[in-house]
Amino acid sequence: MQKQELKRGINDSIPIVLGYLPLGFAFGLLANEVGMSVIQAMMMSVLCFTGAGQYIAIGIMQAGGAVFTIVLANVLVNLRYLLFSTSLVPYLKGKVPTAAGALLSYGLTDETYAVAMNRYQDHAPTASYMAGLNLSSHTGWIASTLLGAVLGSHIGNTDRLGLGFALPAMYICLLVLMIKRKSDVLVALSAALFCLLIGYLVPATMGNLFNIIIATVAGASLGVLIGERD
Amino acid sequence: MNGTSIWIMIIGVSLVSILPRVLPVALFSRYEFPEPLKRWLSYVAPSVLGGLTALSVLAPDGVIDISVYNRHIWAFVPTLLIAVKTRSLFYSLLAGIAAMALLYNFV
Repeated sequence: MQKQELKRGINDSIPIVLGYLPLGFAFGLLANEVGMSVIQAMMMSVLCFTGAGQYIAIGIMQAGGAVFTIVLANVLVNLRYLLFSTSLVPYLKGKVPTAAGALLSYGLTDETYAVAMNRYQDHAPTASYMAGLNLSSHTGWIASTLLGAVLGSHIGNTDRLGLGFALPAMYICLLVLMIKRKSDVLVALSAALFCLLIGYLVPATMGNLFNIIIATVAGASLGVLIGERD
Repeated sequence: MNGTSIWIMIIGVSLVSILPRVLPVALFSRYEFPEPLKRWLSYVAPSVLGGLTALSVLAPDGVIDISVYNRHIWAFVPTLLIAVKTRSLFYSLLAGIAAMALLYNFV
């Protein structure tokens, strides 16, 4: 275990945890309202760690939907992780033992993926860094869920603290940092446009995030077509 | 939904959210990807971030809202400037949160 790398990972997780705070809190609160116990809400955050998926579960429960519907919706929502995880493979190869890499990929989310990819552009991945980043982000998610489930009803509106913009701000900065090649700009802009266009034409994809998958496949393919050879 | 159904639901969701993250790393790590596939994969992150940024700013509540009433669009501007200028996640986050708090409380 390299202490320095672990620390770096934990440090890099701070903005993520800040962003998860209002989201996990709201999940805990809502879970409680649809009839989940504090333990169930917390365990869902421990075992699933999928923000969008957990919110969808709440929505379907509220509408009186079935377990099967929730699981199926989550298959769709979580398919994008296949792409994320696969795109990490070339970086992890030879640097992080497969078993450790796979196990730690449990903590792969939109946010930990983006932060890690940004780091791996100029630093070799290590299991310690992954552990620091993913486990502390996960801990933040679980803790904020617990807070929401226990205290939710006693705390008023948290929107006024501006924390609702923590994750968008993080995406914006990571996007800026991620742009290295000229083609990256075009790819990111096209993916953004595709994503909105698909969401507009097929509103259901806004909920199951299928628009992100399609936009990513389209964006990456465009990148290969227009990209400069390095 | 009763207690048992909720537990079954949690375990089901857990399986379908963990497998797509863990399996590719577990299964593909022993192979060397061909160069074109590696190039394609190198564009996954910029694409995902482009999509996520667009959605989180232009559809903050899950519905596309491109109007002057969407505070996220206003908060986007200073955040982007700070991000480009400082290239620091910390300062960008600070700028974004502060901008949103100001907009929420005073506009």
